[in-house]
Amino acid sequence: MGDAVSRQEAGPRLIDWRASVSGGVLIALALVVAFLLDTPWDSVSTFRISRPRDVWAVGNLTVPSQWFNVAASVLLAFLGTRLFLKGGGRWTAVALGIGLVVLAMAFLVWATAGKAISLTGMLQATVVRAVPIALAALGGILCERVGVINIAIEGMLLAGAFAGAMFGSLMGGWAGIICAMITGGVFGLLLAALVITYRVDQIIAGVVINLFVLGLTSYVSSQVFAEYRWLNKASPFRSFKIPVLGDIPLIGPVLFNQNLFVYGALILVTLSTYYLFHTRHGLRARAVGEHPRAADTLGIDVIKTRYAHVIVAGMVAGFGGAWFTLGSVGRFDENMTFGRGFIGLAAMIFGRWHPLGALAAALIFGFADSLQQKLSILNTPIPSEFLSMAPYIATIVVVAGLVGQARPPAAIGKPYVKE
Amino acid sequence: MFMKKAALTTGIAAAFMLASAGGASAFTACQVTDVGGIDDAGFNQTAWKGVQDAMSSYGIDGRYLESQSETDYEPNLNSLIESKCDVIISVGFLMGDATKTSAEANAGQKYSIVDFAYDPTIPNVIGQVYATNEAGFLAGYLSAGMSKSGVVGTFGGINIPPVTAFMDGYYYGVAYHNSQKGTNVQVLGWNPASKEGLFTGNFESLDDGRAFAQNLYDEGADIVMPVAGPVGLGSAALADELGSDALMIVGVDADQTQTDPDRAHVYLTSVLKRMDSTVMQVIKQAMDGSFSGGILLGNLQNDGVGLAPYHHFDDKVPAALKAEVEEVRAGLISGAIKAGG
Repeated sequence: MGDAVSRQEAGPRLIDWRASVSGGVLIALALVVAFLLDTPWDSVSTFRISRPRDVWAVGNLTVPSQWFNVAASVLLAFLGTRLFLKGGGRWTAVALGIGLVVLAMAFLVWATAGKAISLTGMLQATVVRAVPIALAALGGILCERVGVINIAIEGMLLAGAFAGAMFGSLMGGWAGIICAMITGGVFGLLLAALVITYRVDQIIAGVVINLFVLGLTSYVSSQVFAEYRWLNKASPFRSFKIPVLGDIPLIGPVLFNQNLFVYGALILVTLSTYYLFHTRHGLRARAVGEHPRAADTLGIDVIKTRYAHVIVAGMVAGFGGAWFTLGSVGRFDENMTFGRGFIGLAAMIFGRWHPLGALAAALIFGFADSLQQKLSILNTPIPSEFLSMAPYIATIVVVAGLVGQARPPAAIGKPYVKE
Repeated sequence: MFMKKAALTTGIAAAFMLASAGGASAFTACQVTDVGGIDDAGFNQTAWKGVQDAMSSYGIDGRYLESQSETDYEPNLNSLIESKCDVIISVGFLMGDATKTSAEANAGQKYSIVDFAYDPTIPNVIGQVYATNEAGFLAGYLSAGMSKSGVVGTFGGINIPPVTAFMDGYYYGVAYHNSQKGTNVQVLGWNPASKEGLFTGNFESLDDGRAFAQNLYDEGADIVMPVAGPVGLGSAALADELGSDALMIVGVDADQTQTDPDRAHVYLTSVLKRMDSTVMQVIKQAMDGSFSGGILLGNLQNDGVGLAPYHHFDDKVPAALKAEVEEVRAGLISGAIKAGG
């Protein structure tokens, strides 16, 4: 009781404190934009929208660089001052979000001053790079919503990539995807058995699976694939254009001219949102993750629910892993997922364990990633090491600044013992 | 790299693998690979080929240890000390510090390191370095002559000298073509003046290789030179999908039509860094007693670097351009042309 009271007292002060800090950050960013991102008054930033083979050609988007950044700086300063003086309440996150978007645009306009870049290509890359992260996050969500921590996502991605390449080479792409999903599911089953039945610590079980998959796939890739190349030469799925929609300038190439995995990820995100929040089974699953004993009392089989969701999560991760081989490069190489599974877990937390939120987080990572590539190509004086950090920094800033306190499912990490 | 470390520092040891020629021979050459693996179709694999060649030519034993992360370098070197190697070859610039520490602690042990030159030199270490800027220069000149869009691109793994030497040469090769032929071919992804450019930040994520090449292609490049080990295989996958009319790849380290035969048709040529040849020379020196610490430089003149055959593009590269590339090669060897710009 006393705890609840003190939290209530701390509440309003906490929000004010966040608003002041956010306001201060925005004012600092305004100064950065105003003084560091300086360009000649007559320079113009050109963003190409149409590409040579497009059906409907659109002109380029041109922006006067310095004027844009003056406007951006004023907007940032206005938002910052307002937050700082008046506090933002629930608008703090929105204002900070707008501020970060404006900052990203200001950087881009500054770097492009006097040059041209392909805006369509950049946004298309954003979506493409977000796909494996969104799928990894989705695998995490399905698992954690029933109360099982899934650190093993990275290993499941890698296993999916491996199975996709091998079975895709032997039996074709579709069989490759199915086998990748089965492989992911098998590791899901392994995780489930370890943590649900044998009640191994969930973090440790996940790490063990990651290391096991990394060791096994690296061994097979260096010892077997190096010798028998035909086991590792799948043909990746190509992108296909959805008629008419795919020809719309800008939006068409970004959303409607992608490969199977991009459409698959969007469909899976929609389906799982509907499932978790609008069906009876989804409600039951969430109950198991929040308060398994109560769920049990109401006749929900906690153990069975957890097993089923962890296995499905593994299958989703397996599909996400197949992206790396069947959706991208058509062959497996050691550790090729390169930590994308962990980024997916960050996206899950940022997205507050909600599939749509996780997709948004993945898109932010993807955008920061393609932004840093453009900035590198445009020869900005920012060291490339800093630019490579940008996607990670963006993820951290957004998680800390926008999301604030995210609450995981209450029963997470705790094995369920029936009395 | 740090995500990888997060996965690995939790307790994995290096994958310990033995590749013995069988039988007990008098001499053993041991190699420690960098991350990327012995089968990376490039850097580590080419250096290992040097040991393999020595195994078949001189009848020695060879073995290797793979480093899974940068934290494996020292443990790997230490475990080789215990297993009585006649010469230890570490592969990669990033192993420079670890090799130095190990060599100074074991003065009686012969070492060699690929891609690192110590200054001052260490008496028991031969540093193998390569004038890849010379070979990159040739590739740049060739690319400038072949590009239809007037834009070519390059990107690297990490911004370190053995990587950027390729990119430097490539840039100046294009610039030389521009100055000689009056063309205006642009190079994206590297600026030798500011030493900044486009880097994936790793040598492992093939998906990055595809995404970065796509990005350069979106900005108009029709030839891309990835200098990031196996990451470049991802770029080749994109070129395969787009067709080699739209995008050609310049391979690096090994002749990539041989190491990536399934996509051989996308490689315009490869910038060869003959680590196999220098590794074999080092082993020979260690065997016949002529081993002394210092530097072994591979350049165009001693065939330590070079340009691979055009293979699938042999018909498409104009004869005049081929002849010009040969002239530039001769100029670089004689010193009439400077690869450093």
